[in-house]
Amino acid sequence: MTRTTQAPKALRNAGNYIDDRFHLAKTGKKQLGKVFPNHWSFMLGEIALYSFIILLVTGVFLTLWFKPSMAEIVYDGAYEPMQGVTMSEAYASTLYINFEVRGGMLIRQIHHWAALIFLAAMLIHMLRVFFTGAFRKPREINWLIGIALFALAMVEGLFGYSLPDDLPSGMGVRILQGVMMALPIVGPYASMFLFGGAFPGEDIIPRLYMLHILLIPGILLALVGAHILILWHQKHTQYPGKGHTEKRVVGTPMLPAFAVKGGAFFFFVFAVITALSGFVQINPIHLFGPFTPTSITSGLQPDWYMGFMEGSLRIFPNWFDIDVAGYSIPTAVLVPGLVVPGLVFGAMALWPFVEAWISGDRRHHNVADRPRNAPVRTGMGVAGITFYGLLWMAGSNDILSETFSISLYATTWFFRITVIVGPIIGFIIAKRACLGLQRRDREQLEHGYESGTIQQLPSGEFIEVHKESSEDVVHVLESKEPVSRIDVRALDENGVEAPSSRGLMGRLRLRLAEWYTRDNVSFEGVEPHTGHHLRHGAHGEDNLSPQDREEAATT
Amino acid sequence: MTDTNRNHDNDGAEGPDRVIGTPSSAAGSRVIADNPQGDASQEGAYSPEETHTRPEELQRKGERTAAMWFTLAFLGGVGFLVSYFLFPPDAEGHPSIASPLIGQWSNMLMGGTLALSLFGIAAGMTVWARQIMPHYEVANDYDELPSPPEEKSSFSDFFMRGADESGFTKRPLMRRTLLLAMAPLGLAPIVLLRDTGPLPRDTLRHTLWEPGMHMVVEGAARHGEEGWIHEDDLTPGGMISALPYVEPDAEHPHGLSLNDQAQTVILLIKMHEREFSEEMTREQRNWTHNGIVAYSKICTHVGCPAALYESESHRILCPCHQSTFDATNGAKVVFGPANRPLPMLPITVDEEGYLVADGDFSEPVGPTFWDAQRGK
Amino acid sequence: MTRNGETVKWITARRRHPLAGYVVVTLALTLFGVGYAVIAPGAERAEAQTLAAEAAAAEEQPTAEDVAEGREIYNKTCASCHGPNGEAGEGYTGPDITGEGAAAVDFQVSTGRMPSMNPDAQMPRKPPVLNQEEIDDLLAYYNAELGDPGAPGVPSSDIPGEPPKRADFEDHGAYEEALEEWEAKYEDYIEGAKNPNAGMELYLANCAHCHSWSGQGGALTGGRWAPEIGDATPLQIYEAMITGPGTMPEFSDKVITPDEKQDLIAYVKDLQAEPNAGGIFDLNRVAQVAEGFIAWTVGLTLIVACAIWITAKQRTHD
Repeated sequence: MTRTTQAPKALRNAGNYIDDRFHLAKTGKKQLGKVFPNHWSFMLGEIALYSFIILLVTGVFLTLWFKPSMAEIVYDGAYEPMQGVTMSEAYASTLYINFEVRGGMLIRQIHHWAALIFLAAMLIHMLRVFFTGAFRKPREINWLIGIALFALAMVEGLFGYSLPDDLPSGMGVRILQGVMMALPIVGPYASMFLFGGAFPGEDIIPRLYMLHILLIPGILLALVGAHILILWHQKHTQYPGKGHTEKRVVGTPMLPAFAVKGGAFFFFVFAVITALSGFVQINPIHLFGPFTPTSITSGLQPDWYMGFMEGSLRIFPNWFDIDVAGYSIPTAVLVPGLVVPGLVFGAMALWPFVEAWISGDRRHHNVADRPRNAPVRTGMGVAGITFYGLLWMAGSNDILSETFSISLYATTWFFRITVIVGPIIGFIIAKRACLGLQRRDREQLEHGYESGTIQQLPSGEFIEVHKESSEDVVHVLESKEPVSRIDVRALDENGVEAPSSRGLMGRLRLRLAEWYTRDNVSFEGVEPHTGHHLRHGAHGEDNLSPQDREEAATT
Repeated sequence: MTDTNRNHDNDGAEGPDRVIGTPSSAAGSRVIADNPQGDASQEGAYSPEETHTRPEELQRKGERTAAMWFTLAFLGGVGFLVSYFLFPPDAEGHPSIASPLIGQWSNMLMGGTLALSLFGIAAGMTVWARQIMPHYEVANDYDELPSPPEEKSSFSDFFMRGADESGFTKRPLMRRTLLLAMAPLGLAPIVLLRDTGPLPRDTLRHTLWEPGMHMVVEGAARHGEEGWIHEDDLTPGGMISALPYVEPDAEHPHGLSLNDQAQTVILLIKMHEREFSEEMTREQRNWTHNGIVAYSKICTHVGCPAALYESESHRILCPCHQSTFDATNGAKVVFGPANRPLPMLPITVDEEGYLVADGDFSEPVGPTFWDAQRGK
Repeated sequence: MTRNGETVKWITARRRHPLAGYVVVTLALTLFGVGYAVIAPGAERAEAQTLAAEAAAAEEQPTAEDVAEGREIYNKTCASCHGPNGEAGEGYTGPDITGEGAAAVDFQVSTGRMPSMNPDAQMPRKPPVLNQEEIDDLLAYYNAELGDPGAPGVPSSDIPGEPPKRADFEDHGAYEEALEEWEAKYEDYIEGAKNPNAGMELYLANCAHCHSWSGQGGALTGGRWAPEIGDATPLQIYEAMITGPGTMPEFSDKVITPDEKQDLIAYVKDLQAEPNAGGIFDLNRVAQVAEGFIAWTVGLTLIVACAIWITAKQRTHD
């Protein structure tokens, strides 16, 4: 690296060959120099990308043997406990993969673990983007694509879970069918069309198979491509820091370091998933037994990402079901099955636009917000996590009930109440925590950090010595901008309210804007390291902000 | 970052790309480690002492570490190939993966070696990137958004000229007929889906159950009349999952397709007649026989088998979403999300005392749909 | 004290280290994981039970002496709740047991559920208070003087119950012999099932909705639960089916014939004894909930730890 070596001839020739045809030298240099900010949380999306690749590869392997057929056969394969059992060809071929294809069990387990990791990675990636405000202009469209990816991946996972036609997987399909049936008027038709007749019929697995291996992955692939292209074009956001500005992004270039780091990360993801698959049994369909519509197991669960829907199906009561003249609208199915996911995904999709509308913020943002510097957003995020998390836990309330010996109905009631109260409490706590952290930041910016060293002053007073924060820290602390807000009480020169604040929506917006910005701690006029704690013994009153004076008075 | 540095940079080729902390390769060997007080202090996340190349000695150490990881990965990979051939499937006299214990070994060996190999590569590459490559950061300018007004208006002019030339806005007849032409084509894919399944008609309202049909225990491999359930078979507090008896054929031990099973399966429950609730209607009482009552096993919520009968409280619980039905009272919903009671199957006995159906279910079986209770 | 002081100092000196946060998170997660591993019940229980040590099956007809001993045991351990005649009644907290049958008595006592201190709560399985001989005496007394002859008696002696316990034998040889005999009986019963496939269907249709596909049990209403059946002996499972202990429904020998019960028990026992082909960690055969938990706490955590390694700040000195 101290000297540029001449490119080897073969490489030069290949390069020339390509460039002769595509004119890529300039673009190539630029793209290979693409900057990747250095922070682990920027790697979360990559986990999802890599597990998706693993899913594609292992999925192809599984298709070599899997037979998507519901034809009933009597099993005569090598796995002894099931010999002579009547089952569908789909289930029998999955047994074949498990017990007669070497490495088949491993690949199946990799496929399943990778699916769990795929969705988990997408979720925390999404949370990172949300809490750092990385969805803001100009990245709203990529945020929407991300949500579409998550929703599609959920469906993809559900369908994949349903294919082996084992006992729990068939029940997943049954619940899907039950939710469809509840749709007013169209329900029975939709169900008959999807299943090719009454449940379970003989068509559903071939159809889900087509959706699972062709249609949905195709759309996923296209969306992943678009997601990455947009990211590439708009470049990464970055955390505040020295030299990190709205105009330029700082980080490791693609060539050489990041290419190697990214490659290493792919292998890490693959290694962890493989290690899990080698040693931790997942979805042991050969132990579950084949699907029959008449049998069921206790503790029946979907995979984790469907847990919040399962939970809402469990706790939503039938009190709001509408029964008139023999016609029923079972809201206890429709609300959890459609409204709850609609609410979760709808709220996520709308949030960037709602936030921009409330705050009137139309600027471009490339430097990520620290979550504490947007307390309302952070609070909303925490409320959302609480809501989702509680529903998710409610989806395993029977397991919780059994494990902790709590009455089953008590857990139902617990979740019914906390699902409403929890998010509110979560919001309040998170917002308070943010504001507290803001105050601490302001404190640290002015007074430096607490060094942990206690000194006794000549006067006998004990103080903790404060030290100046590093330049880097100061950069981070100073990154806090005033939360942008529309001018709440704006009157024009004639004393007339701005048009944007008139009318019902206008007033609503004003109220929201006030709520959004009200409690924010202002950093205005705070100069780094001017606080009195750094100059003990020399309490210069001149530099103190009013708050400091107050503080000085009380201490 | 200083002007001096900028001068070295990029040989004038690319504005935005700039190396912080190290000059471009063209500038030769001046890296920041040689120049700790260097000019890198202005930008980048790292202070100058963290922007550096590694001394040769450290690099050599890194090379050894990386090589060790890669060697480990190689061994893991070889181990994977070996473990693949170690356990042949379906081989006479050899350990076969069809046996669960050997399958477990095979899976752990293959998974373990593959994971080791992958991890070795990953760790080696990480060491490579972190201990051998020089460490520095670069900055890229974000694209200026939005485009400058001239570019925008130039684009707009170009586009509108094209649009005008096309005549699409000026020729409404053509435009409208084109849209008209599209409409049926747009419907075609939806229409084509029509044959994915039959219409429901009244299939949801009827099952196989007919008066006089005998019952057999679900899953029991008894043949013919031997399998019929007798009224004396059940003891108070007893329960059994049952299906209608039809002449068996080879394909279906019960002679029933899965579809028929899904519709006809019942829970037979016996209790003391005095335990029946007062609220039970006379009709519902008539559907029981001597304390035996038959409910559809398919939950009216979303269709799981609601099979969990508690003989003390006489509650029937669906293990999926915990809808709870009162078995003493026509399976009335007492907790949970289900919309309506489990349908009841009227039962009686034949002259020998075998249980038989006395008709079809009282209501459509399975998940509640919009007109499930119509005409009741 | 000084050592503590030093530790605190050591921590204080490093708590502002850039990696301190990661270390804390990693430690917390490790603690969490280890905590889970400790709490999660061991998987080997089922097997350990099968191999456990112990007593002979006395097949001789009970003598008057046995009945007398049984009466004494009854009066000592049972009569305080069930009354002197087993009819309970006024002033007694327990139920009338005269109609329950010897199978129910054997089930309750051999699973350690009886004698119970709290008649209102569901009893978990416990090590039995009485040994096999005492139970036999108790049953002899029950059959001779208390029980209703029409109620289900202890089923066929071909069905294996608890394996012999070393403590009940004076010399090792006799114990070994009894154990061998028991093992042969166990094998005969399990292997002798004519149609384990029917056993699977019967189990899934009538049992799995409470006890779960793996026999791990499940939640019921009112704070009750369906117990795990891994520890239950074939005899106990059989007795549970014919007597319907607690809230469990009864499955008489006419509804599910003795042969079918054998099929069913063989299926459950084989399933529980089957090694996990997918790896040694079976997550207690809870399946999806445990899998999701592991994917987050182990899978994702390890991957993020790798990401932290890759992107950690690099100083010249590390």
